[in-house]
Amino acid sequence: MSVIAPDFRLSSFIRSIFDNAFWALLLANLAGIPAIMMVLFYIEMPVIDGELLTPFLAFSWLADPSRTLPIVHAFMATDLFRVVAFPGFGFAALIAAATIFVERKMLAKLQLRVGPFYCGKIEGILQLMGDGLKLISKEIIIPAKADKPIFWVAPVIFVATAAAFVALIPVAPGWVVADVDLGLIAVFAVIGFFPIITILSAWSANSKFPFIGGIRALFQMVSFEIPLILSLLGVVILTGTLNLSEIAASQSSFPWIVFLPIGAIVFFTTMLAELERIPFDLPEAESEIVAGWLTEFSGMMYGLVQLGTYLKLYAFAALFVVLFLGGWHGPMVVPPFPEEILLDGIVMGPVTAKIPGLPLFTQEMINGTFWFVLKTVGVIFFILLPRGVFPRIRIDMLLNLGWSKLIGLAFVNIFIALGLLYAGVLGPGGMLPQ
Amino acid sequence: MADPVFVALAVVTIGSAVAALELRSLVYGSIALMGALGGIAGLFLLLDATFVALFQLAVYVGSIAVLILFTVMLVKRELIFKKIEDKRRKFAGVALMLVTMVALGAIFIDSGIKDITTDEPPVDFREIGSDFVTYYWPALILMGLILAGSVTGALVLARREDIEENGQRTS
Repeated sequence: MSVIAPDFRLSSFIRSIFDNAFWALLLANLAGIPAIMMVLFYIEMPVIDGELLTPFLAFSWLADPSRTLPIVHAFMATDLFRVVAFPGFGFAALIAAATIFVERKMLAKLQLRVGPFYCGKIEGILQLMGDGLKLISKEIIIPAKADKPIFWVAPVIFVATAAAFVALIPVAPGWVVADVDLGLIAVFAVIGFFPIITILSAWSANSKFPFIGGIRALFQMVSFEIPLILSLLGVVILTGTLNLSEIAASQSSFPWIVFLPIGAIVFFTTMLAELERIPFDLPEAESEIVAGWLTEFSGMMYGLVQLGTYLKLYAFAALFVVLFLGGWHGPMVVPPFPEEILLDGIVMGPVTAKIPGLPLFTQEMINGTFWFVLKTVGVIFFILLPRGVFPRIRIDMLLNLGWSKLIGLAFVNIFIALGLLYAGVLGPGGMLPQ
Repeated sequence: MADPVFVALAVVTIGSAVAALELRSLVYGSIALMGALGGIAGLFLLLDATFVALFQLAVYVGSIAVLILFTVMLVKRELIFKKIEDKRRKFAGVALMLVTMVALGAIFIDSGIKDITTDEPPVDFREIGSDFVTYYWPALILMGLILAGSVTGALVLARREDIEENGQRTS
């Protein structure tokens, strides 16, 4: 019988812990804190309580509870926070991770299976973490005759492009990473990069299955970009702007899906094709061409491509919400922040804690984020649902659908929008309020 | 001293254009072409023409370059290109290019374009759009007809009559 650690001794274990703690403290003092100080000198520091936050004050102030929240506040106003955490990458990656788990579990329930079950005590809730650890620890295998530079770079660029797409999505009023005046055109420009990355990574693997998958992906994405762009023009005609925040703000009374249902249907269908979801998942058809253009990816490269795919899925669902479902608008369900905490502080027996800078987020922001996430999750559910219901269609059916049916429907949608505009129902000076 | 961003973009654009011509691998050549087109989009961004820059990205990098890539991957290059290694041709081409560039540059600089200074804001793309559908509508219609004609012509040319319809295309 084998033991995991035959020479285990408690004393040496404790000694190793002390050893590690000693070295960590020594290194932090000698190198860590000076490095942080040096970095802090180059960052523009905020003014807290009428006093400029200097690197020397920063550490002591972070330990002072009455000044922690204002510092956090100042940090949340920076671009770094927006890009890394809230409306940007971190938020989207969280939703993407949740999507992966929900997809597996939901599909299992649809097909009367169990799905992820053993990892984590409750319904396999830690499965995703297990998968991630497995992918990180696996070896990355590059095919011998692959074109190495492109093969290495492609997954990274894929994630970067998906993150650029995420950066254009407004989540709550004023909470968007890049508030571009021509947001929708920027979205089209970013979407145009996905087929390039797909075909380049497929070609660089120098293998038959990825190449067939890549060619299919290219066919599919390029031909479905046209109805995708056309189906969104109706919204642009009615709002008269390309800025995504303004489009979302224009739907305070009613979402555009009420007036442009055909555009919404066309956009949803093209979205499924762009995302390679199931009725249109020919590029990854696992029963025909192994895994399509993902066949030769292994280890964390495959993980990166998966992350990018699900970030893209979130971004498309969020774009649908912003354009057709009213973005962050919804009834106010979040209660206002209790004012007595602001005025008197929190009373706990004899102690009264007065915390400055407390409403960390405004009521509108929390409410907007709540409705946005709720709608986005609903749209993601409808994107995932066909995978349990539909079979895969042939490539000629797919192209026929894209070129002859969806483009025609998109034009019908544009004419409906123009009719509403010229009849004076909607748009500037229209009968219905915006 | 020129703007460093401008210099960087110019170097990227010209460098990748040269690479697109000179690289032996056609795929890398088309990637370099994408770099050149993207650099031009960056120059448009510097000129405050965001609309043109984004369309440059969406149309040229996103569609045209993809088409070129697609063609390169589908066609065997041995069939369309014969390699002719000729030093004299190469130098003659470089010299011709230099002469043309210098002449064009001299014309541009001589035209007084360097002395124009203006404080006017960039033209809004909405104005350009409304001009297109009001004053310049014949040009717009003409462009549309030419594009439709070329698409129809391409469809007619691409049609193959040697394939028999045997009832498989039921979609």
